[in-house]
Amino acid sequence: MHIGKLRSLQRREFLRRGSALGLAGVAAPWALNLSAIGEVAAATSPTDYKALVCIFLYGGNDYGNTVVPYDPDGYREYQKIRQSLATARDALAATALTSRAPALDGSAGRQMALAPQMGGLKALFDAGKMGVLLNVGTLVQPTTLAQYKAQSVPLPPKLFSHNDQQSVWQAANPEGATSGWGGRIGDQFLASNANASFSCINASGNAVFIAGQQAVQYQVSTAGAVAINGVTKTLFGSQTCSDALRALVTAPRSHWMEKELNRVAARSLSAQSIVSGALASQPPLATQFDTSNSLGMQLRIVAQLIAARQSLGVARQVFFVSLGGFDLHDFLPDQHPGLLEDLSAAMASFYDATRELGVSDQVTSFTASDFGRTLSSNGDGSDHGWGSHHFVMGGAVKGGRFWGKMPAVAVNGPDDVGQGRLLPSTSVDQLGATLASWMGVADSDLSRVVPQIGNYSQRDLGLFA
Amino acid sequence: MKPEPVRVGPAPAVVAAAALQACGGGASSGPGPVSGLTDAQAARFLAQAGFAATAADIAAVRASGYSGWLDQQFAAPLSQPHFDWMGDNGYAEFAHRFDFSGVDPSQWRKLIGSPDGLRQRVAFAWSEIFVVSMAGLPVTWRGMAAAAYLDVLEQRAFGSYRDLLEAVTLSCAMGVYLNMRGNQKGDAATGRVPDENYAREVMQLFSIGVNELQIDGSLKRVGGKPVETYSQADITELAKVLTGWEFDGVSATDPGFMRRPMVHIASRFAPGAKRVLTVDIAATLTGPAALKVVLDTLANHANVGPFIGRQLIQRLVCSSPSPAYVQRVATVFNNNGDGQRGDLKAVVRAVLLDSEARAIASGPAGGRLREPVQRFVQWARSFGLQSAGGLWNVGDLSNPATRLGQSPLRSPTVFNFFRPGYVPPNSELGANGVTAPEFQLCNESTVAGYLNYMQTVIASGVGDLKPDYSADLVLAGDAVALVDRYALLLSGDGLSAATKASIATAVGSIKIVSDANRLSRIQAAILLVMASPEYLIQK
Repeated sequence: MHIGKLRSLQRREFLRRGSALGLAGVAAPWALNLSAIGEVAAATSPTDYKALVCIFLYGGNDYGNTVVPYDPDGYREYQKIRQSLATARDALAATALTSRAPALDGSAGRQMALAPQMGGLKALFDAGKMGVLLNVGTLVQPTTLAQYKAQSVPLPPKLFSHNDQQSVWQAANPEGATSGWGGRIGDQFLASNANASFSCINASGNAVFIAGQQAVQYQVSTAGAVAINGVTKTLFGSQTCSDALRALVTAPRSHWMEKELNRVAARSLSAQSIVSGALASQPPLATQFDTSNSLGMQLRIVAQLIAARQSLGVARQVFFVSLGGFDLHDFLPDQHPGLLEDLSAAMASFYDATRELGVSDQVTSFTASDFGRTLSSNGDGSDHGWGSHHFVMGGAVKGGRFWGKMPAVAVNGPDDVGQGRLLPSTSVDQLGATLASWMGVADSDLSRVVPQIGNYSQRDLGLFA
Repeated sequence: MKPEPVRVGPAPAVVAAAALQACGGGASSGPGPVSGLTDAQAARFLAQAGFAATAADIAAVRASGYSGWLDQQFAAPLSQPHFDWMGDNGYAEFAHRFDFSGVDPSQWRKLIGSPDGLRQRVAFAWSEIFVVSMAGLPVTWRGMAAAAYLDVLEQRAFGSYRDLLEAVTLSCAMGVYLNMRGNQKGDAATGRVPDENYAREVMQLFSIGVNELQIDGSLKRVGGKPVETYSQADITELAKVLTGWEFDGVSATDPGFMRRPMVHIASRFAPGAKRVLTVDIAATLTGPAALKVVLDTLANHANVGPFIGRQLIQRLVCSSPSPAYVQRVATVFNNNGDGQRGDLKAVVRAVLLDSEARAIASGPAGGRLREPVQRFVQWARSFGLQSAGGLWNVGDLSNPATRLGQSPLRSPTVFNFFRPGYVPPNSELGANGVTAPEFQLCNESTVAGYLNYMQTVIASGVGDLKPDYSADLVLAGDAVALVDRYALLLSGDGLSAATKASIATAVGSIKIVSDANRLSRIQAAILLVMASPEYLIQK
């Protein structure tokens, strides 16, 4: 991994320069990207590209009906607990998974099936391009059920609360956190990217996951970068007014809010010309995305941006996309299947697009969510939980298998903190460290990305070949 | 339930007469006749206490003073309820039972057209605290449920907090949105347990929040650590208390039940004693009696004043209020001076008349980013937009790339468009831990989307709402006067002399040959004022 050493040197140099320019600390990269570190571009080989894509499922995905016990014993327990929420066993036959790794930790004889709507992901699992990370969630350190009950070890703040657990998943801190581990991976590669501005790109709304300590998230719409018409053309027929508009929205300001507003507008303007040009230089994607699938449309623009990576001047990128509507306390049997269908179809199309672009080995995608849910039914849905199963997809992934520890299908079982809320056996920090390592973050720098990683002996979950 | 507290103010008739007298005369400058207020002070106040400042509004505030104007607004009659307007306009027809037709129009009707600006602004604020969204109401008669909910917020905007909390809790829309409707006792045979959704969110979002607070909104700490207000066990217990509620007389043909509070079905109520927030709820209590205990407990919790008070300050005045400001508002929440707790009229008054609200924020973190909806409504009110055909067909403005990225009653989740604790990353705000909720909607797409949308509507209007700038054509020849005028109305004269000068220079560069050029000057002046950061950050 040659980029490791090179990047490390570059990063120190980058920080030094930022400091020398008096810009270090607060979002210096934008100011620096074209001028101060532009020459680094020559050292970045375009074949060395890698991207990480976080697919966030807002609301807390119901793990119970996403990855379903299929072996007769497991299914029986599942059905007993889930009652009217249970998916019929027959319906799961076509998406039952056969793992390439024979023995799942603590789960001899257990077979799992994807939800029936997830045929796209099933095919990727079979092809070895997708695997399932079992019972992953927010933790401070490895935690046993006894420790949880005795509250004898530190626990993540505000368990079971949406906004806070979204933030803890993304940033290891509750609401109000200002940098996430995706952004901190981006921080490590600012100097590897000729245009550091495009290190962290969000095709959803704002998300702390992808804000670094220095890396700034750049937000792009599903249709690409949005031009400010009054600046790119005349304003009410007047070029002078157009010039005045540009000056107003980009002028440096001293009031912190005005300053932030104008920095966003200035980024919008300068990035728009680059992004629009870069996208226009690429042939259209042949891979079809369902235009009615909001996640698919986000992943399509991500694929288009990846296609334009050379024009954008990037060697390492982190992307964020999302799908909402998972908080199904009610209507779960009605609404959850459609969400999973969208998720599966969008991920499958995205994988196809990365193959079309010849970068499937260089792009890894993974799902995340606020939390898992209860296994118990409340009649028509499930309630807020903790650990959950998640997907990791890409050509570099050692897929077709399960990682982590299979939880027992049980209420009041060995992994249950109440009503089938799973105590996570793998932490988000371990996942973050594994993905960061794949991106090329040096082992010694992992704690910059996931500060609590020192609490775990296993820093690599073995997701990659 | 108690009637809302009454406060004695100046006789409304006198105030109204003064306001009427001032109507049509345009705003004058210099000290006001009674209040001593300037046009700029009045306009700035109106942008906090409502959506816009027309010449008549400014004159009314100057004539009555801040407090007198508030009395006048508190006493203003309500415009036609959403529910009734929906019925009158064909949206309560059977054909619309599965759609939201009419809800956006009825909201724009009131936000833009209703004279009770204070009530509209505060009701909109409540809709961002007690969030229900059209993005999550999968129920028959969903549009009527949304309309009835908006009416609850509007009608109780200035009542008591306890009353508002109960009305929200028992509204059909909230019942569907957070699933209290149909919530049933557990069933040991099947393992079914009560739904926890409303139990959690009523505490986390609508009343006490997740951490114990000091009266000034800062965290209580024990051994250096924040103290959580409730545990998972409290939620599980509260979920039991909240079982048994159902629509009052479901009908496939008549949506009338959607405006009635839910009713209790005893057979679905979880039996046994419950314990919520250290309060014991005896097994003998009925469902409604148990609900009363719980709502009383929540409404009387010491957190409510600072928790709700701080959010109301954020919605109306500033993003990062001082602890002292929060404390003053929470103190009024706790006691309106007449021994009443949760008097929302007194709380709104305290928020708006506080010295920190009345003084122009001077620090680098003062003020707040105006919300996109607030900007649009301000423009529409400022330039007298009315719906020619009564359609109010502004539509859904949620698209972030082509519209505003925000539309009333269309939050993506119950956590609103933005969180009260949001801190923008990678900024001086972030480095200093300054909360700035509205920035959660601010990104490279939405800054462009807003400017593009405003450019379009300033020029052409939207739907059957067309702007009429004819009264300003006489001003257009004098670019400086034109920009001064708009800076006053839209920003409460918050633009610096340099900014006004640069806008005036640009606008003045449009040569006047005909009224078309005058119109271009007007449109450019409005857009440039509304694009300037000194306008967008309301101080």
